[in-house]
Amino acid sequence: MIRRPLLSLLTALAFLIMLGPVVILLGVAFTAGSTLTFPPEGLSLRWFAAALDYQPFISSLGTSLVVAALSTVLALALGVPATLALQRGLIPGRGVVENLFATPIIVPELVLGLALFQQLMVGLQITALATLVIGHTVLLLPYAVRVVGASLALSDPRLEEAARGLGAGPLRTFFQVTLPVMRPGIISAAILAFITSLNNVPLSLLLTGPGVSTLPVEMLNYVQSSYDPVVAAVSVLLLAASVAVALVTERLVGFNKVFGR
Amino acid sequence: MRRAANLTGVELSRRGTLFALLVPGLAVLLFGFLYPVAATLAFPPDGDPATVARETGSLLTDPYLLPVIARTIRVAVVTTLICLVLGFPVAYLISRVPPRWSGKLLALAIFPLMLNTVVRTYGWLVVLGGNGLLSSLTEGLGLGPSRLLYTETAIVLGLVQLFLPLMILSCYSSLSQQDPRLEEAARGLGASPGRAFRQVVFPLALPGALVGCTLVFAGAVTAFTTPQLLGGARERILSTLLYSRVNVSLDWPAASAVALVMTVLVLVVSALSSRLSAKGSTQ
Repeated sequence: MIRRPLLSLLTALAFLIMLGPVVILLGVAFTAGSTLTFPPEGLSLRWFAAALDYQPFISSLGTSLVVAALSTVLALALGVPATLALQRGLIPGRGVVENLFATPIIVPELVLGLALFQQLMVGLQITALATLVIGHTVLLLPYAVRVVGASLALSDPRLEEAARGLGAGPLRTFFQVTLPVMRPGIISAAILAFITSLNNVPLSLLLTGPGVSTLPVEMLNYVQSSYDPVVAAVSVLLLAASVAVALVTERLVGFNKVFGR
Repeated sequence: MRRAANLTGVELSRRGTLFALLVPGLAVLLFGFLYPVAATLAFPPDGDPATVARETGSLLTDPYLLPVIARTIRVAVVTTLICLVLGFPVAYLISRVPPRWSGKLLALAIFPLMLNTVVRTYGWLVVLGGNGLLSSLTEGLGLGPSRLLYTETAIVLGLVQLFLPLMILSCYSSLSQQDPRLEEAARGLGASPGRAFRQVVFPLALPGALVGCTLVFAGAVTAFTTPQLLGGARERILSTLLYSRVNVSLDWPAASAVALVMTVLVLVVSALSSRLSAKGSTQ
């Protein structure tokens, strides 16, 4: 083993780097002063009020939620049947098809964003919102296929055969056997996909239109143009929401199981 | 004969079902991914494969742009190494502490993945900025103000923060499957703690570490928010260069060239790493 003091030191350093900058934002957000400094100059909630008053944040939060919800539903609607076919059917060239569903992860998101902007938004005149949904669906498909596939691969196909053997039709077998087996996988995939979409920057960066932009992109734009702590307040609100989502996830399917893959 | 015909009928309907299950997903991949990416990399607006090839050539020889590629690779390599040096011990610790601790520590390491990159990087501006935390510390020590913001070091720090959870998770997945008695056996046979670690624990966890290194490297090459905020226009890497090509200079073929180099870099490293891990598993 590594010597204890060294092990503890490296671990402490790792957690300091991972969490320190986020914890500092808690201090910055509650400052009464108007610059980005830590420790805060007096306490106030003025930056939270300013954040909730800033229209681009509110409208982009709406866009982000709509895009995340739609693309999660679409990715599952497309991904679950595909996984089912890949896991339960005998498909010629199965490996190739499986790899195809995983490719969006390998190509840089910024490149995919540029491609969608050029070809779909400029080329085919598709709106920014629709392009965002298409792009995020593509981004989330690999997660849906992989996570649901993992839960299917662990289950026993003989359960379905038994149901069929006992006289259940294909639809009844699907809804009463296969779907319950996939349920934890689907819930995990949905949570993971929703959060992934909500947090995305590089893919969404170029897919903006009049009044259409996602919250992380608006936050990035704001940080680049002004130096006041409004974004720290937004960050703290998002942090609180994430803690809530983490707790709900822990109750539903287990936090480490969903995000630790 | 009737039976055989029937079977083929079943077979056909099964084929039809499988087809119906797969096609919608494949169609979306084609329309929303393969077509646009291929079109943009080869045929950007006001350009063709020849223009992109020429732009890529000049990108690879231009004395201003070559350092950008070199910086991208350097930043990604250093980030990967630091993540390995910090992440492996954390994963080791998590895999060896009692279960009631390991779950909590793992959750703490994973939690940052729920936050967007702006939230995670923003704090570094407070730490590294002109009158930030670090600067007041060094000034207090009489060392003068620190000027780390908008340097390569700042980018690396931000990226290490971003990707440490991925490294910890990858190493942990290997380490948690390892039987701790192997290490105890090595110790019992007289190996020093360091030797048991070097010759038993680490080699057995190598596949996980390799996956972690690949994820971190690819992530560091393609990350945008962090190098944009902490490196800015002064320390460009490929992703921030791509963005400025698109947004500032509106030079499509040049943007395609940068996109091509970036994509190839990630693909080559992923391919190398899967070759390496395939080799490792046959040995």
